[in-house]
Amino acid sequence: MKDKNTLTILILFVLTIASAVVSNLGANWNWLVFILMGLSALKFILVVFEFMEIKKANSFWKFLTVSYVLTIVLTVVLIL
Amino acid sequence: METQKIDYKNIFYPPGGILIWIVIFLELITFGIAIVALALFSKDDPEGFHASRLLLNPTFGAINTIFLLTSGYFMATSLKHFKTNNRSKASLFLKLTILGGLFFITLKSIEYYQKIEHGLDMDYSTFFNFYWLLTGFHVVHVLVGIVILIILYFGINKKESKTELEDFEASTAFWHMCDLIWLLLFPMLYLIL
Repeated sequence: MKDKNTLTILILFVLTIASAVVSNLGANWNWLVFILMGLSALKFILVVFEFMEIKKANSFWKFLTVSYVLTIVLTVVLIL
Repeated sequence: METQKIDYKNIFYPPGGILIWIVIFLELITFGIAIVALALFSKDDPEGFHASRLLLNPTFGAINTIFLLTSGYFMATSLKHFKTNNRSKASLFLKLTILGGLFFITLKSIEYYQKIEHGLDMDYSTFFNFYWLLTGFHVVHVLVGIVILIILYFGINKKESKTELEDFEASTAFWHMCDLIWLLLFPMLYLIL
């Protein structure tokens, strides 16, 4: 489990650095929003499933958390 | 060492208990609505929002993300040790978690000081109105989280500690909620608009 937490934090660091790099690439606006919000959604899901241990919980909670982050991210992507 | 067990598969017993998860979802929905509102307002004045956003320092935001994520990692590690009744290690990682939170608050205070010094207050622009409200409410949550963790720290270090696993998990869940909110705020405020 210690290794799992360590692996999770390493992935979270990589995703955070990737966000900073991507934002400086000057990519197409629509793709930039999609990629940055997508990376955020991935980090959100990692924290919820690994650190908050929702992976051990009833499927209802997994569905609720994933639905929440996808709704917010997709709404923002569609608006912008 | 004895390991405490809870049936997490029961829908009413997510890690931390159902009450803290109701609180977490209420908070997430509130911040979610505000983030969607920020996106909608930015559509009316994209140039103005972009110009204001460029006045923020993304390095501060990125470092604060690292502080919160690292602090979350320490919290998860502390919980793991608490579950195996290794109180000394749980206590050590809890202290590191609190330290991560204090680093976040310190850097945020420096950022706020710089913004105020340059006259970038709530009245400066609609973007800064959102910036102060969203980050301000988030900071309040981090401060509440730190107070909860300090109470937890003293609770588990008492000779005859009455801290239950569910209390520890609920505090952990609240702390991670601060991470979750920040993970959505960071790209919206510092990178995208």
